[in-house]
Amino acid sequence: MAEEQLVTFSLGNEEFGVDIMRVQEIIRIPPITRVPKASDYVEGVINLRGNVIPVISLRTRFGMERVEETDLSRIIVLQVQTKVFGIRVDAVTEVLRLESEAIEPPPPIALGMDAQFIRGVGKIGERLLILLDLDHIMGGEASHDVSA
Amino acid sequence: MSQDGDQNQGVDLEEFLEFYLLDSQEQIERLGSGLLQLEKEGGNIGLINDLFRSAHSLKGASGTMGFTPIVALTHAAEDLLDRLRQGKIEVSLEMIDILLAVTDRVKAMLAQVGQRLEITLGFEDLVSSMRLLLNREEPDVSATDYAVQEEVLENYVPLDFSLTQPEREKVNDGSSLGRGVYQVDITLEPNTLMKAVRAVMATQRIEGMGTVIKLLPSVEELETGNAESFSMLIICDEPKEEIQRELLEISELVDVFVHPYQNFGGIEEPDKTFNVIDNVLGDEKIMPLPIPKAVVVPKESGKALSASTIEAPNGEGNTQVHTIRVDTARMDNLINLVGEMVITRTRLVQIGLDLKGQYSTDGTVNNLNEANVYLGRLMNDLQESVMRLRMVAIGTVFNRFPRLVRDLAKKTGKEIELILKGEDTELDKTVVEVIGDPLMHLIRNSVDHGIESPAESREAGKSEFGTITLNAYHEGNHIAILITDDGSGLDLDKIRQIAVSKSLIGEREELSERDIANLIFLPGFSTADVVTDISGRGVGMDVVKKALNSLGGMVDITTRKGKGSTFTIRLPLTLAIIQALLVEVGQEIYAVPLSSVLETLLVNREEIKTVGGLPMVQLRGNTLPLISLQEKFDLPTPETESSEVFVVVVGFGDKALGLIVDELRGQQEVVIKSLGDLLNNLPGIAGATILGDGKVTLILDIGSLIQDVLVTRSA
Repeated sequence: MAEEQLVTFSLGNEEFGVDIMRVQEIIRIPPITRVPKASDYVEGVINLRGNVIPVISLRTRFGMERVEETDLSRIIVLQVQTKVFGIRVDAVTEVLRLESEAIEPPPPIALGMDAQFIRGVGKIGERLLILLDLDHIMGGEASHDVSA
Repeated sequence: MSQDGDQNQGVDLEEFLEFYLLDSQEQIERLGSGLLQLEKEGGNIGLINDLFRSAHSLKGASGTMGFTPIVALTHAAEDLLDRLRQGKIEVSLEMIDILLAVTDRVKAMLAQVGQRLEITLGFEDLVSSMRLLLNREEPDVSATDYAVQEEVLENYVPLDFSLTQPEREKVNDGSSLGRGVYQVDITLEPNTLMKAVRAVMATQRIEGMGTVIKLLPSVEELETGNAESFSMLIICDEPKEEIQRELLEISELVDVFVHPYQNFGGIEEPDKTFNVIDNVLGDEKIMPLPIPKAVVVPKESGKALSASTIEAPNGEGNTQVHTIRVDTARMDNLINLVGEMVITRTRLVQIGLDLKGQYSTDGTVNNLNEANVYLGRLMNDLQESVMRLRMVAIGTVFNRFPRLVRDLAKKTGKEIELILKGEDTELDKTVVEVIGDPLMHLIRNSVDHGIESPAESREAGKSEFGTITLNAYHEGNHIAILITDDGSGLDLDKIRQIAVSKSLIGEREELSERDIANLIFLPGFSTADVVTDISGRGVGMDVVKKALNSLGGMVDITTRKGKGSTFTIRLPLTLAIIQALLVEVGQEIYAVPLSSVLETLLVNREEIKTVGGLPMVQLRGNTLPLISLQEKFDLPTPETESSEVFVVVVGFGDKALGLIVDELRGQQEVVIKSLGDLLNNLPGIAGATILGDGKVTLILDIGSLIQDVLVTRSA
């Protein structure tokens, strides 16, 4: 457990990483069906080989402005516990290994975004990698969002 | 996992386990409902025979599998039923209670088996109570002097309960969690018959509030010996006084003393505790864990099995059964495959039509389209056949309610009869699986708030027997389930008051009686003055409504003061594949379940009138409330509005609502897909489906849309 394997992706100028074991696949953006009355960060649902799965806009989730879809835009399909969902990102950058020592706890003022989504910050030379806490991305406040 | 693994060497138990479980669960259900019938009708010999057979085959099967505790229980039950059928003993309430307790215990054991766990539940207590009932004709005579022990019990001395390791752990866990650990000393009336039964009753009372760890002396020793008192080690959150009060309600208990039990700290040092006993009881040694006496050797069960084959009455049991059991997972897989095929066929049809547009004269394209039509017919047949496979009689759900009502009636001291009607009504397995809980909630509600106490009924000049009727029947593409009670009816004035006080409605608002009654489905509404154990607990009727809405159904209530109330539930027959009308709203497409579409209209915008801020249209002299899906779903307002709009009239029973949409896209078969945990419970959305072009389309939840409108209109 001295090493973690991560899939990294970018949102604007920031670079993020998720545990590769949680990543089911990475796909281009298919037609997305909007779901009315869902939380604003839920972009909609897509058809993944006969299964309907929700897609989250990470930009909206992190309070960043929306951008147009580009050739590099992707959906990373994740499985967290039993839940399968996609996160929409600007681009998937690489797969890399990171020593556990290179991971630091999230800074108290977390880069202008909600600290609950951040598990830690990884350092690779000069690059800073924000490691996501997936359990909070879709869960957490989702329940009261729905009832509101 | 098996208790007698050695005897079954070479046999793959796992293979038979599923069948065993299915069969045993069925037998135990049959036993349970039969016992309730027995209680009602008394000694009906046919019924007793049935019960005996159920107990017997359960015993046989459990013996084969090596589940000794179940064998012990069913064997004793079988003996009891055998005596009963020979007319040697009479049916008594006590007996029914014990036998029901046996069914509960066996059920719990089967649950452990089902989880591939070792059976850890005890059976000795119930077995000895049953033995006791059997032997009640031969009362015990030997009168030994237990004065020593009695004295001890009155002046509290912590007893050693000879706890086993797991029991000790339980006690330690309990105390470390801050729960009360008590030693309860109970003195019986001198010459009490059936002391063991008192002990079992006391145990059951405590089980209602906490856990009984150990009984001393054991039930068996109580049964055979002549002790006038016994002690229990319990874990319970209730205060001492409460425990004492609860126990004193049992007849023939003279004294109940509850002492916090501190000795468990030293339990781990056997030497020390043995000293305590030695001091207390002198030479009398306390037995360790009672050794089960009612263990049946497999040989015997085999013998009994062949005996029963001979015994089996002619004509019965010889009929061949033309059914097979199939694992539900396989069935679900089949349905999913059919669902995927339906989607793929829709795509084929779409491709065929596209090709026809491009090569209208090509014969091959025409052939393709013809084949598509034929495939469509086959698919319909296939789908219908598969759906029929999944149809289950609603009786499977209803059957658990007689016991529930009986227990609730006992608890509340009300006299209640439950009448079941239409148990044969079939509906899809998916629906059957999920309606149990909402129904149970409604029945609990009826028992608690609907049915009056015997005194109240007498005052109202009604029979002391309250009646709850559960009725199911098909109504078009839906199933209707009615829960009717003949109790006091809803107190509409009170509901109104509460609704006003919680500002759910305005003070002067004019509402029909029915509208007021339906207010109880609003979140945060509760009429009960006291939160009771039965239906209180803060779970409101809104939960029931929500659960039913999520199934695409709805619930309605009618009530008459002093006459009772009726809850009407309407549910679609299936939740897997449905016919849907596709509608276009702005750029989006939604699917409306066709089963709830009454008609479609083309309405001129000028005909739409706004009443109290809400749109309405006149339809054949009646006012039809409308909702605009574009507004409801926060779609952008189009720049140009057409002068005419389509209205899809949807409804259940006598409730109707018009949905304003832009276009109708025709009807199609759709496979309902769940939106998953992350997106369920969205207002107005029941699920999703995948259309022929591979795009996801949302399915409207008509029930919740209608109920929302009713609520907003009345609020």
